[in-house]
Amino acid sequence: MAVLEIKDLHVAIDGKEILKGVNLKTGPGEVHAIMGPNGSGKSTLSQVLAGNEAYEVSGGEVEYQGKNLLDMSTEERAREGVFLAFQYPVEIPGVSNLQFLKTAMNNIRQHRGLDEVNAAEFMKLARQKIQQVDLDPSFLKRGVNEGFSGGEKKRNEIMQMLMLEPKLAILDETDSGLDIDALKVVAEGVNALRSPERAIIMVTHYQRLLDYIVPDYVHVLSNGQIIKSGGKELALELEEKGYGWLGIADDATA
Amino acid sequence: MTTLNTVAFEPTNKCHLPALLESYQREQRKTLATTALPTRKTESWKYAAKRLGKLTELPRVDTQADTRADHLANHQNHYDLACQTLVIANGEIVSDLPDMSGLSFKPFSALSDAEIKNVTSGIVAEAEDMPISALNSAHFEQGIYISVAKGLELETPLRIVIKHNGHGTSFPRVYVDLAPQSKFTLIEELQVSRESGAVDTTDSTEVSAFCNQVTDVTIGSGAKLTYLRMNVDQGQVKHVGATGFKLMRDARLETHCLALGSELARHDLRVHMLEPGAECDLNGVCCTKDRQLFDNHTSIEHIAANCSSNENYRCIADDHSQIVFNGRIHIHRDAQKTLGAMSNKNLLLSSNAEIDSKPELEIYADDVKCAHGTTIGQLDEEEVYYLKTRGIRDEQARQILTLGFVLEIVRAAPVLAIAEFWEQSLAELLSFEG
Repeated sequence: MAVLEIKDLHVAIDGKEILKGVNLKTGPGEVHAIMGPNGSGKSTLSQVLAGNEAYEVSGGEVEYQGKNLLDMSTEERAREGVFLAFQYPVEIPGVSNLQFLKTAMNNIRQHRGLDEVNAAEFMKLARQKIQQVDLDPSFLKRGVNEGFSGGEKKRNEIMQMLMLEPKLAILDETDSGLDIDALKVVAEGVNALRSPERAIIMVTHYQRLLDYIVPDYVHVLSNGQIIKSGGKELALELEEKGYGWLGIADDATA
Repeated sequence: MTTLNTVAFEPTNKCHLPALLESYQREQRKTLATTALPTRKTESWKYAAKRLGKLTELPRVDTQADTRADHLANHQNHYDLACQTLVIANGEIVSDLPDMSGLSFKPFSALSDAEIKNVTSGIVAEAEDMPISALNSAHFEQGIYISVAKGLELETPLRIVIKHNGHGTSFPRVYVDLAPQSKFTLIEELQVSRESGAVDTTDSTEVSAFCNQVTDVTIGSGAKLTYLRMNVDQGQVKHVGATGFKLMRDARLETHCLALGSELARHDLRVHMLEPGAECDLNGVCCTKDRQLFDNHTSIEHIAANCSSNENYRCIADDHSQIVFNGRIHIHRDAQKTLGAMSNKNLLLSSNAEIDSKPELEIYADDVKCAHGTTIGQLDEEEVYYLKTRGIRDEQARQILTLGFVLEIVRAAPVLAIAEFWEQSLAELLSFEG
């Protein structure tokens, strides 16, 4: 059974259609990269999968582990194992990373019929995971993303992903704004999560991240549709030739 | 016009105050005879006046000697803190005076002329625009005068529990004098309740517990006071409190207030920066629900040059409740090089709740920096969504964010046990479950 199957998905925001019939099937253990120029609908796809209510699904279906994903609330999706690493994580002063993560984790555990996480075990796990993304443990006590640099926010997203161990991880432009060292850290975090039962979708503009997280499949999203799919070599081809050879004008590739 | 001339509060003469203090109170009463009970046309009482009710018809709360032990036994300990405690119940000192080296405690009945002069020239005592606090000046029966010795740096905080129990009014009064270079932490905790003994329900007058409390403080040169204030009781009680601080050269004042709503809750906090180099940092968290009100007024008088003030208040109003934040900064002509900053952020949780925020800046000096900012808003839906994408349910996400809105300030309270108690109280208060 596919982890995720998107069939002819149409999505609009403020009455404007952004996704115009997306089809995508992701099996367990697979890493898919979705590439495309700015404005092609990459972030819309990520947000719709996570359950952002600002987007209106006007047609199509999304099946997640055999269930209708679009029928689930945002939090249900998360509890069922969907995780979105945000392109622009919000800052929430006053709510500590620790408290936030613990609440999230317990919600997910409760859903799976597990007891609340033991405080000591939780701390141990949190410390371990934050070091894994090369952030100082003091970040755990800080407000969620409060005063974090762009790179720190992205690493914090990966840290949360490592803690919550999703079945389907969607990374929305996680590579943007990262220097090469941070990129490696993030890639290591994602690679650590690769496993036979888990699916990962990486949304990215550039091929750079794919040097470190080698995808099984690469799809090109343009003007709300996937216009080309291939193996990892497709990403290299895009890197070399830009989006132009596919007949796409890409202002941002410079 | 209803005046504040009231026989109901006539002293019971249980304790004899020094003649000088008695004559001061006589003068105060004379003034009150021509002072009007605030109405909604009184600017500073615009929102709260109607909740004063028939204040002038209330009796002085019954203070029976045999309740002394009850008060002592019943004052609640909400947190575990190493401190000394003084209990004032219905305006009377009911606990033993704490034994703290370098600290002296004197009941008002034992004050010297010089000390009386300090009491009667405090910021609140001398204010001409605080009619309700003037009632306290006219009617307090016993007060406590606390002196902190010169250079004394006290680690242990002093906690004053101000209790009010029963129908009627009480007038607790405190004066604190910090001698130069001393360091002191004062915690004021209001516990107001109207349940005490039998209340004559045949009387047509409403049952009303009204605590009218005043504390005046002088912070000597180079001295530092950390002041924490909270009211732990809510519901059908009224309390109007005023705290005044005089800051001398290089004095430091740090305040943290937790203000919870009740039928009528009001706090006036006044600071006078009298000599150069003084600094104050005022922090407050205000939270109301049901039909509660908190009427919050701060006023900083920059009289001397080279002083700085920083103020940060956060308010949350739910249901049909109302919060008033009136923040005044007055920079006098000679107060050059003043640094002033005021921030007031407000969160409305219900479309029926009301928050009235009024920054009031009056600046007469030309070389100053003074900034202020106010926001009133609702929860950020983007933040709610972010939490939900991590599996947190909508209700809980909103609760976390609401608490988070004030936690920054709560956690900054310098006494850990109190910061934790406040956090826990607010978490319970802001719990939307049940």
